[in-house]
Amino acid sequence: MPRDADELLALLELEKIDDDLFRGAQMPTSRPMVFGGQVAAQSLVAASRTVAPEYVAHSLHSYFLQPGDPTTPTIYDVENLRDGRSFVTRRVIAQQHGRPIYAQTVNFHKVEPGYEHEESMPDVPGPDHESVRPVSREVQEELHADQWNVADIRFVSSSAGHTDADPRHPGRQQVWLRVSSALPDDQFWHRAAFTYLSDMTLVGAAMAPHGISFARGDAFVASLDHAVWFHRPFRADEWWLYDQVSPSASSGRALTLARVFSQDGQLVASVAQEAVLRPRKEGGR
Amino acid sequence: MNPTEELVDLLDLERLDGDLFRGKQPESARARVYGGQVAAQALMAGIRTVPADFAVHSLHSYFLLGGDYSVPIVYDVERIRDGRSFMTRRVVARQHGRPIYYQTLNFQLPEEGYEHQDAMPEVGAPETGFDLVDVMRKGGNDEADALGKEWGALDVRWLGNTRFGLDPDDGHVSQARMWIRLREGLPDDPAVHVAAFTYASDVSLLGSTLSVHDVNPSKTQMASLDHTLWFHRPFRADQWWLYDQWSPSAQGARGLAFGQIYTADGTLVVTAAQEGLIRPRRPGSEGPGVKE
Repeated sequence: MPRDADELLALLELEKIDDDLFRGAQMPTSRPMVFGGQVAAQSLVAASRTVAPEYVAHSLHSYFLQPGDPTTPTIYDVENLRDGRSFVTRRVIAQQHGRPIYAQTVNFHKVEPGYEHEESMPDVPGPDHESVRPVSREVQEELHADQWNVADIRFVSSSAGHTDADPRHPGRQQVWLRVSSALPDDQFWHRAAFTYLSDMTLVGAAMAPHGISFARGDAFVASLDHAVWFHRPFRADEWWLYDQVSPSASSGRALTLARVFSQDGQLVASVAQEAVLRPRKEGGR
Repeated sequence: MNPTEELVDLLDLERLDGDLFRGKQPESARARVYGGQVAAQALMAGIRTVPADFAVHSLHSYFLLGGDYSVPIVYDVERIRDGRSFMTRRVVARQHGRPIYYQTLNFQLPEEGYEHQDAMPEVGAPETGFDLVDVMRKGGNDEADALGKEWGALDVRWLGNTRFGLDPDDGHVSQARMWIRLREGLPDDPAVHVAAFTYASDVSLLGSTLSVHDVNPSKTQMASLDHTLWFHRPFRADQWWLYDQWSPSAQGARGLAFGQIYTADGTLVVTAAQEGLIRPRRPGSEGPGVKE
């Protein structure tokens, strides 16, 4: 798995096999299955490479269908759903061993002016504040979660243990994140790198009210879907606040909604993800 | 038939072949098919291709072209995954040989697990709200009468928005709230409740993106771009549910809205998300239409 921005970019640089058909490489990993953020980001890159540069990706919606096999490359097959004047839509099927593992639809918009509003960033300590905890490499290695290496992650707060209780939102978590080294200036790579990182930590907000932990492996977790709305340009290699609320858990599933703020307080993206969240003793899927 | 029975009839698709369905069209005074109808009919097509013990728990969809009321919509269902716990379907809605809407649906065999939910905000009772179509008419919306007729099955009581009657809440800068129910009772079939709710879920969500802006909706070109629902718990669409809506962001002629749906006893039953085009119309310009 990538350890820095350069390795991440190499992973996201797809090989073009034919028009609308791409192949994404794998990197050595200790995980038994491909990290979801990798499939999501590679799909976004595949879709974007079939679209004229003046159209900017503003949203993606996707479902995870099968665990990805990290020992074999992933094929990305792009279907053209619409070439409109203002909007362009692509659907990408990621496949391995002849089976779809992931389906993503991406919408692109030609930049235009319009109404403006945004929610304000909550008042939180910055990433360098003494109360904000970096995640140590030791913890990462214990997790065998080497996808974390490309990210700097600092936990700000969560509703676990009622240390930061809000009766309206029992499941909450706030995390500072960034790509751990510099990306090129092109916004395209910041959206792609953000998409990679956006699959990290979200389930923590859903676990917080239940006294369970991802690090301890208390529960079986698998992403079901993943949606991103890009609002404003930002740098994924500078700190952004991942402000997460899990509005609901039921029937072995949990939803998390997240706002993404750049450190200067701009709301730059919104994310939604539903995941399977099952007590571990009941076994896997 | 009363309007609720007409809606139930609208959601009852004709099966053309195994996974191919055709939807009826209502009488409408509007130029383009109401998005909630397409979403609900697509959902029904998807539901009819999975076993009855699997319940729909989410849908993600994109609107591609404006629908045409003069011809039926054909719904073509693709079976993406038949798993032990989860099933996935993709529905293409098409007219005149072209896709107008794509919806992906996920189904799950219900199970036990962790339980939590956001708490319902304190709001006034449905009786304290205003009829939504009246509110739209008074707000200068040219389409209010046509929409009132189209949405005859829905009883919508508007509680207020950021500029009128709603106090800022929970850090949200642009908000709207309303109670909704079907005017008459629905059959007990859970699929009908999910589909009738899906029909209603597109009524007003995008409006919350303009709650903070002092604009006449008729001077704004509005079109749903995507529509997403996560069904958390079963509920009856013919009993009051609160649609608590907020828009975290608008920029570049797009606005994003989230909605949480609570039953009157405070149970969170659905979360909704929608991004839409909200494009200021230039004076004297009708714009290029509702949807491209």
